[in-house]
Amino acid sequence: MSEILFYLGALMIIIGGICDLLGAIGLLRFPNFYVRLHAATVGTIGGAVVPLFGISLLSLGADFLPHKYAIAGASFVTGVIILLAAPAGATALAYAAHRAKLVKWEPKVDHLAEVRKND
Amino acid sequence: MKRLLSLLILLGIIIGLAFYLSLPTQEGLRSLGEFYLESSYFGDYSAKSPEVVTSILWDYRGVDTLFETAVFFLAIIGSLTIFRIEGKKERAEAKSSLPLPVPVVTKFIATLILAISASIALHGQLTPGGGFQGGVALAVAPLLIIAAYSKYALENNGLDKTKAIILRSIGLLGIALIALIPLLSGGHIMQNQPIFPAEALGVPLGGSLIYYNIFEFLAVGAGFTAVFLLLAIPEEEFKEKGGACE
Repeated sequence: MSEILFYLGALMIIIGGICDLLGAIGLLRFPNFYVRLHAATVGTIGGAVVPLFGISLLSLGADFLPHKYAIAGASFVTGVIILLAAPAGATALAYAAHRAKLVKWEPKVDHLAEVRKND
Repeated sequence: MKRLLSLLILLGIIIGLAFYLSLPTQEGLRSLGEFYLESSYFGDYSAKSPEVVTSILWDYRGVDTLFETAVFFLAIIGSLTIFRIEGKKERAEAKSSLPLPVPVVTKFIATLILAISASIALHGQLTPGGGFQGGVALAVAPLLIIAAYSKYALENNGLDKTKAIILRSIGLLGIALIALIPLLSGGHIMQNQPIFPAEALGVPLGGSLIYYNIFEFLAVGAGFTAVFLLLAIPEEEFKEKGGACE
């Protein structure tokens, strides 16, 4: 049981590393602010929350670790807090950029306009 | 390609230096370390605090920290003087114009920050952290509320600039009193043990360290809150009242 937890946690940490890498590449290569914001959120949710949950599973499975329940609890709580805060921050940023009209809006697909046209 | 090559060379140099400059492993206690431990945890006149850094800061280098705190207060007073606004305050309605998740999460996070900052400050004699760090963490909560709602959300709930300044002054007064108390019982200024109790109910208090931490927490948190409230004044209001022109 503890081995399963250990390897599951390690796998989640690796997934987190991959998400961080993808988020960083996206932040550099994506064309405009909103898509870059998406890449940054991939970096925070996939690259911080998932590995934090992974650490909590890993430390529950690691019998050699001192204070393993404290580490597991702390990383779980931190993960939940980031899981709450990151989308809120991204929402606030996107909303502010949209309201201030700072970003040029060039939609490839505009479903809202299509709906309006059909009405 | 050229950039990649230089990057690789840089990486090689860094790794090589890291291998070359490996620190020698230390065996035994040096005399300086022994002095610190003796003056912060073990000795009769020490703070009996396992957190040596807090002990150094507030105990046997306490006057230095007192003056550092004074410098911080002068900075706050300076900014309060620059942004002076006379006249009656009008209070607008505090409503968040941001999308729903932002204010809800902000409420939750601000509450958490209050608890965590109190924990940082009150554990200052046991774990890394202390009054200043706790106070800075505390000041993030009003800053978040100002960003998500407005400064009127704080003012309508009773935390305006005047109250923040009063709280800050209480903190400074507390630090000064705690520093002067040892004089009454025949000690030196800012002396720690054995005038203050080393522990209560089995919890190590670190003598005067916990009181310094509490008051510094209050002072730093309230001071930063006052400055944030000032910085959040809308520009129109500032121009109307002619704040800086007088």
